[in-house]
Amino acid sequence: MRPAAVEYIAAREVGEVLAALADGETSVLAGGQSLVPVVTRPGAPPCRLVDINRVGGFDTLAEDDGCLRVGPLVRHRAFESGVVGGALGDLLRVVVQHIGHPPIRARGTMLGSLAYAHPAAEWPAVAVTVGARMVLDGPDGRRTVPADTFFTAPFTTARRPQELLVEARLPTLPDGTGIGYAEDRRSSIYPQAAAMAAVTVTGGVVSAAALCLVNSGPHPVRAVAAENALLGTRFSDTAIALTAEVAAEQDTRRLDDDATRPARRQAYRVLARRALRHARQGAGRCG
Amino acid sequence: MTIEINGTPHDRTPLPGQCLRTYLREEGCFGVKKGCDAGDCGACTVHVDGTPVHSCVYPAFRAQGRSVTTIEGLAGPSGLHPVQQSFLDAQGFQCGFCTAGMIMTTAALTDDQRADLPRSLKGNLCRCTGYRAITDAVNGGSPAVCPAEGAAVGSSLGAPAGPQVVTGTARYTFDLDVPGLLHLKVLRSPHAHARILSVDTSAALAVPGVEAVLTHKDAPDRLFSTAQHENEAEDPYDTRVLDEVVRFIGQRVAAVVATSEAAAEEGVRRLRVEYEVLPAVIDPALAMLPGAPLVHGDKGIAEGIVRANANVVGELHAGIGDVEAGFAAADAVYEATFRTPRVQHAALETHGAVGWLDDDDRLVIRSSTQTPFLTRRAVSRLFGLSRDRVRVVAGRVGGGFGGKQEMLVEDLVAMAVLRTGRPVKWEYTRSEQFTAATTRHPFVITVKAGARVDGLITALQLTVLVNTGAYGNHGASVMHHGCHETVAVYRCANIRTDAHTVYTNTVPAGAFRGYGLGQVTFAVEQVLDELARMIGMDPVTFREINVVRPGDDLTAPGAHVPDLGIASYGLDQCLDRIRAASSTTDTAPDGWLVGEGMAIAMIAAGPPGGHFADATVTLLPDGRYELAVGTAEFGNGSTTVHVQIVADELRTTPDRVLVRQSDTDVVGHDTGAFASTGVVVAGEAVLRACRALRARILAAAERGPSEIRCLTADSVAGISLATIAPLSGSGHFDGTPRSVAFNAQWFRVAVDPDTGELRILRSVHSADAGTVMNPLQLRGQIEGGVAQAIGATLAEHVDVDEAGQVTTTTFRQYHLPTVADVPETEVHFARTTDAIGPLGAKSMSESPYNPVSPALGNALRDALGFRLTDLPYTADRIWQAIQDHRP
Repeated sequence: MRPAAVEYIAAREVGEVLAALADGETSVLAGGQSLVPVVTRPGAPPCRLVDINRVGGFDTLAEDDGCLRVGPLVRHRAFESGVVGGALGDLLRVVVQHIGHPPIRARGTMLGSLAYAHPAAEWPAVAVTVGARMVLDGPDGRRTVPADTFFTAPFTTARRPQELLVEARLPTLPDGTGIGYAEDRRSSIYPQAAAMAAVTVTGGVVSAAALCLVNSGPHPVRAVAAENALLGTRFSDTAIALTAEVAAEQDTRRLDDDATRPARRQAYRVLARRALRHARQGAGRCG
Repeated sequence: MTIEINGTPHDRTPLPGQCLRTYLREEGCFGVKKGCDAGDCGACTVHVDGTPVHSCVYPAFRAQGRSVTTIEGLAGPSGLHPVQQSFLDAQGFQCGFCTAGMIMTTAALTDDQRADLPRSLKGNLCRCTGYRAITDAVNGGSPAVCPAEGAAVGSSLGAPAGPQVVTGTARYTFDLDVPGLLHLKVLRSPHAHARILSVDTSAALAVPGVEAVLTHKDAPDRLFSTAQHENEAEDPYDTRVLDEVVRFIGQRVAAVVATSEAAAEEGVRRLRVEYEVLPAVIDPALAMLPGAPLVHGDKGIAEGIVRANANVVGELHAGIGDVEAGFAAADAVYEATFRTPRVQHAALETHGAVGWLDDDDRLVIRSSTQTPFLTRRAVSRLFGLSRDRVRVVAGRVGGGFGGKQEMLVEDLVAMAVLRTGRPVKWEYTRSEQFTAATTRHPFVITVKAGARVDGLITALQLTVLVNTGAYGNHGASVMHHGCHETVAVYRCANIRTDAHTVYTNTVPAGAFRGYGLGQVTFAVEQVLDELARMIGMDPVTFREINVVRPGDDLTAPGAHVPDLGIASYGLDQCLDRIRAASSTTDTAPDGWLVGEGMAIAMIAAGPPGGHFADATVTLLPDGRYELAVGTAEFGNGSTTVHVQIVADELRTTPDRVLVRQSDTDVVGHDTGAFASTGVVVAGEAVLRACRALRARILAAAERGPSEIRCLTADSVAGISLATIAPLSGSGHFDGTPRSVAFNAQWFRVAVDPDTGELRILRSVHSADAGTVMNPLQLRGQIEGGVAQAIGATLAEHVDVDEAGQVTTTTFRQYHLPTVADVPETEVHFARTTDAIGPLGAKSMSESPYNPVSPALGNALRDALGFRLTDLPYTADRIWQAIQDHRP
């Protein structure tokens, strides 16, 4: 590591964190699983870190008013056991198994992953799939940003440099919702491509559908046209195949790279199909 | 605030930004290993308040007020932690560099996580074992064997270093505290080819802590090769410690030596260099064309370069018989061109060395090397020192795979020590390992072969292009070796080979497990598979008709090697196993395409041109024996076998044998731990030393050499061994004559036509290693070789862009096989006894790697109906090929 080049502030309360962030240059250290390798890389520029691990009250994990509220120090592994019932709990439990490996899950945090905004990461995809809201605290007070406008580019979010992501609110999913997740064989930490689905069936018919493609563009996106194709269907194999076909057209990454386009489109076609089939197993059940 | 480490409070405040791993190592916890610096490899795993973390991505500050447990603190007062014990029992390690991290991660797994190791151990990489032994360890191994007197050979004795490996007390290259240590960092070239016009060192020297800056003006005006061989003429002398001309992006330009790593890095950043950029050539085919930029145009035959004016380091144009007549006599002829990419050795311990002057002012270099003696010779020659003024010693080496048959750091460390008079350390980062160590040689191989309908191969023609990169280390030898055993294993009357090794302005390639055989085997075995298909014969029968048999001569185009022969033969047994494998059945997912394929490989036991070993065995006053042997231990297990030989030859038990090794002060000479020689060359020297000592012990008791029954672990003919100690015996072996070993691999695979995903349904390997000295260890070596080769076949590639820049620089980009990627391989041993090797043993080590890629290629061909010729076989390439072959 480059000892001289790192300034380290161990904050004890949120006010100290915001004071440290006021210069617009300081990075927030939560789990550190992505940040530490970056700041310690040989040749990395000097940096200033504010460690939030000693701040009280940051480990909120509670269901409240139809939402799961998650604080900045909730580690990935907290989601390995059911923290909330219903389809949201299923989704979190399925997805967390794919994140890194046990040591990463022991340290890394959900909010850290959301703020880091790796285009292939799992939690941003969950946030987009379920329509989470992000609560930011800063010099001008608190504000809430919906997930679909929070992620703006790779490693870039609507969070201003002076702000801290203090909470994510994940809406619980209605009865009759099934969830699905499928990913392409990964190189090591992140998937090359993945699809995530949450589909609600009421009276045998798809009444709500969310299908999110991971690493298909600068940030996770809902395949809206594909979702619309699924709505009102009976969730048959044919409906799934058609939906996957529409979803595959949405891969927007590396438009200039013609050589890999057909293979990537095919990957999303297959992954969307697998995620939807997985979702169908849980959909339509009540209570 | 203090940090509690293994129950003891530590008061020293971490430096700002220091990671926990560095802090722990500074506090003496050397069991915490540095493998990647990026949270990818898991070698640094420790527990913080009982939770496993990768300590390289955990700021040390954060551990204040917390309790840290490292591998050193895992064992309880009553002995080893159960996970340590099971890793010891199952021998769940080879080099052991990843083991502390594996054990720490495993010790914190829940039962559910233990049942799903592909996911739970994703964060812990092992390059040696292929994970089978690790999986066995996690599931609880059976207790280690304790062979009785005289019964060690053939038993699955554990590695002597096992207890140290599982407790984190084995000492690797950097696991020592050197007072007053200076740190070395280098500035690396941003240009693929340039002349250095000037280096302004003033700003660098002004950095507090910087002690010296070294440039080409300080370097000896002598050429050498980083490659290490007994025969120094084998490699071209084309390299300088620091050169005025840089020939690849990443080559050393200048070195900064400072009191801390940070100061050395800051010094490097402040160097100002003026370059004259020269034209560069990246593509090996273009490098041979007239008018191509010359990489070593200033050198020639005198330096060992065959045609420097065409960038050709070495070439082979030779034949036996008449290939044209052979093709004319064929009923079927097939020709195809194959390409293999650069692959990294990815030993978890990077290259590096620590040097100092000892009390007698001798230069001491402690290095992560496979060749301590040859490195001493090279350092002595470069700096004009007599050999007795240089000592090279290796600690336990954290993996090599050929990459450390190379002097990549010791020369510059020596120069810095001699310049400053102080201890100096240089440890490669993981990124430097990718951009500035060596890789496997990329090959382009065209094979044309013909056969008659009765199965006889009538002609074989090889055209081979080897890219050695900017320097010729191992380049010509890898080409010659690659073109030899691959065709010599067949009794073909007409063979023609045309091969070139060429320079390009890219990162140099070097020795890599298999030494060229893997690349050429990949092509030859696939072309023969296709020929068998064309004449409608099964591939095993086709091999049986054509392979060499006992008594056959092993000639192939090129220099005749008269000391090589078939001193035992088990290839027929290997093929029988492969035929049996094919009669099994497996189920594949619906809609997947299933195929099977096999390939064979032969390897000479040791290199041509001499490979020397010395050993001394001494009877100590307490009745134990001390073995001194020069070869290095880097997880290959030669030490275990040497102990077994000593125990049996001197009728004692393995726990009464001490070993001193890997140190130029210990014995006269040893060529080194490469070319699969640990058993067949060093082991033979050990055997001879034992027999010399045994004769002396018996003589001391007035008994003849055949009366060995009167020798026990405590006495000889009733006389206590203590009364005749000390006594010594020495042995030497020059590595000639040589026998050959055989390997055969078979796979059944399934391919998902929807995604191109390839799944191995069954893997069977059969090996003829002569006498199996240690079944558990040999099985592990084969599993590890197969796993590495599966990685190189399905995933691994180091990429170089059009400018010559290596773009694969971290484990996150370069996919090493994880638990999830490696199937279990059934391993079978042929029953043979070699007439040359010690106690009938032959070499193995490298050779299990070689038949794997072509066997997978043949299985894929069987599944798809067409052949893929370029490695690696990634899912997207397979899927794209399926699309391209749709009618």
